Amino acid sequence: MIPRLLAAALLLSGCAAARSDAPAATVAAWSTRAVPEARGDVKPLPDGRKEAVRYPGWTKEDFSAFRTYGYGDARPEPAVQKAEPPAGIAGDAKRGRALFLSRAKGPCTGCHLVPGADVWPAGNVGPDLSAIGGRGLTDAYLYAQIHDPRVTFPKTSMPPWGATGALGSGEIADIVAYLQTLTGPIAAETDVDRNPATRRRPTGFGDNLDPTNNPAVVLAEGAERLWAERGAAGKSCADCHEGGVDRAMRGVATRYPRFVKGYARVMSLEDLLTVHGPERTGRALPMESDDNVHLATRIKMASNGLPFAVDVESPEARAALARGEASFHRRVGQRNHACADCHTPERGANKFLGGRWLADVRDGLTRHFPTWRTSQNQIWDMRKRMQWCMTPLGMNMLPADAVEYAELELFLTSFDHGKPLSVPGIRH
Amino acid sequence: MQDIGKVRLRVPSTIKAGEPVRVRALVIHPMERIERDAKGQVIQKKYNYIDKVLVTYLGKQVAAFDTTQSVSENPFFSFAFRATGAGPLKVTFLDTAGGKYEGTADIKLA
Amino acid sequence: MARGITRRGMLGRLGALATVAALGRPLDAVAQTPAGPPTPQFGQQESVEAAMKRLFGARPIKDGSAVIKLDIPLIAENGAVVPVSVEAQSPMTPQNHVTHIYVIADKNRIPVVTHATLTPEAGQAFMGANIRLGETGDVRAVIEQSDGTLLAVKREVKVTVGGCGG
Repeated sequence: MIPRLLAAALLLSGCAAARSDAPAATVAAWSTRAVPEARGDVKPLPDGRKEAVRYPGWTKEDFSAFRTYGYGDARPEPAVQKAEPPAGIAGDAKRGRALFLSRAKGPCTGCHLVPGADVWPAGNVGPDLSAIGGRGLTDAYLYAQIHDPRVTFPKTSMPPWGATGALGSGEIADIVAYLQTLTGPIAAETDVDRNPATRRRPTGFGDNLDPTNNPAVVLAEGAERLWAERGAAGKSCADCHEGGVDRAMRGVATRYPRFVKGYARVMSLEDLLTVHGPERTGRALPMESDDNVHLATRIKMASNGLPFAVDVESPEARAALARGEASFHRRVGQRNHACADCHTPERGANKFLGGRWLADVRDGLTRHFPTWRTSQNQIWDMRKRMQWCMTPLGMNMLPADAVEYAELELFLTSFDHGKPLSVPGIRH
Repeated sequence: MQDIGKVRLRVPSTIKAGEPVRVRALVIHPMERIERDAKGQVIQKKYNYIDKVLVTYLGKQVAAFDTTQSVSENPFFSFAFRATGAGPLKVTFLDTAGGKYEGTADIKLA
Repeated sequence: MARGITRRGMLGRLGALATVAALGRPLDAVAQTPAGPPTPQFGQQESVEAAMKRLFGARPIKDGSAVIKLDIPLIAENGAVVPVSVEAQSPMTPQNHVTHIYVIADKNRIPVVTHATLTPEAGQAFMGANIRLGETGDVRAVIEQSDGTLLAVKREVKVTVGGCGG
């Protein structure tokens, strides 16, 4: 049982934990059972560069230079860098505006509103910059801010764009030139949705449990054939778990993720299937395979309506929760972001990141996972969602079944405690 | 993919004779679009999307849809029919690769 | 605050629902047609002006806002799945019914999205679909009545693109 007050206290205390390095590798290494595109592999190219192996359509860019959630990754955050604008570089405001809006870069509009009918959709995680050019700030000040805002604001969520090489010095100079043209006054808004402060919230995709609305329900029902089918060892799930999926699995998903003694690690249902399936039935259910995700979804559906009841009391659970919480606050990747930067109300939660409404972790973010993603036309489990979140923010993936992700998932699930499952979800 | 062609229909559980009834239908289908490069050249020739939906009730066609690549993957459609009698309501999806997928709801009157 | 129909609203109107798991089976083997489907295809890559001309020629299209209800979100979270429904007031008698409903997305590469052909047995001039939108733009609903009259309404849908990668 985790009272809300305790949960909130855990969240706030995370600030202190964030400054310490990654926990010592007291957690045993896990040999991944994920499909090849989910393992976080990095492969060398003939010309000496490296390429990251990710899911089809995802970037292949390698971010090995930047720290990850790995428990053995003891690298500190990138060093804070105070920078001067390079002499002789004159910024071009027009280029700067294009960079500001470019999805290949930030986009800066992900967090900051600026003028223009073509600015769609800007976010409000960061301050409105529509009149920043009228504040009498020097070029040098703005340059240094973009290069590494931590010089002025040590606790900022804003990435150190120049310090980690996400933006080059010429690009920063261009953006500075553009910002200095924003002298105001700010024109009256004609479109209530353009400004994130007044934009209407997304209305969602309707009833997630209706098979005529959510294709994931149809695909999960299809996984019932796996339940009854014999694996290579001549057994099926149904042989041990009798009475059909719904009766046999009722309530099971409410207890995951949990520390599984037999494997000495925290596991989600998806993690467990990767070993339990082959061991008992001879059927391989690699992490992030369709079979694994669809079967996990179907098993979780058997607990729909039942409240989450994950163990947060045992010594193993407490230790795992502490590590998961530390991960939640850990700054990682080229953009030096932590989950907390987007998902706590002190920072980004309940604001727009570009066009996306950011949710507060305390509302519980896991009880609709695995979820259908309409933008992808796929079912995504929590791991794929984690792997995706940090990829555009400049971090290499860990394997989908990594213990680090599992313990982070346990921490997230602690906020769903007492709330009913509703799987599969349907989201953007 | 083994799920392609699966159809789900939803009708109200209470249907009164003579009343119009709304039906929801979903079919699992990739709705593959033609992909063209910047010059307009086709770069994906595999071409498979649902282009026709037929609604038949008590043996008579009551509605039909022409559909295009601008319809979402795993297409959802809804429509109405007047419940004049008990019997089958059939929804047939046809795709450009020659596929034909059907779902039937057995309409019962309250 | 956001207006526009939600799926919950639609289900609510349907009342207590029975799901009919009508398992479709592919009745014919799926054959890949190398050159593409047989022409002519209803959906064509064209401008919306060309599409309107192709469908309606020079026929006058009147304002249908008194008759047609076009339900579509004002902001779509993505362009992959945008729920649309069109409902037109009509007695749906053999003498007076809606024969066609068209949904057109002005900025799509293939602007003609779907076209419903209705009979009086449909009972209501109603159709819904999940559609793809390429970018922010107008979506129009055009209906044809049994006497040949064409009526239309349109609404702009803003399509959200990206956030910080997704």
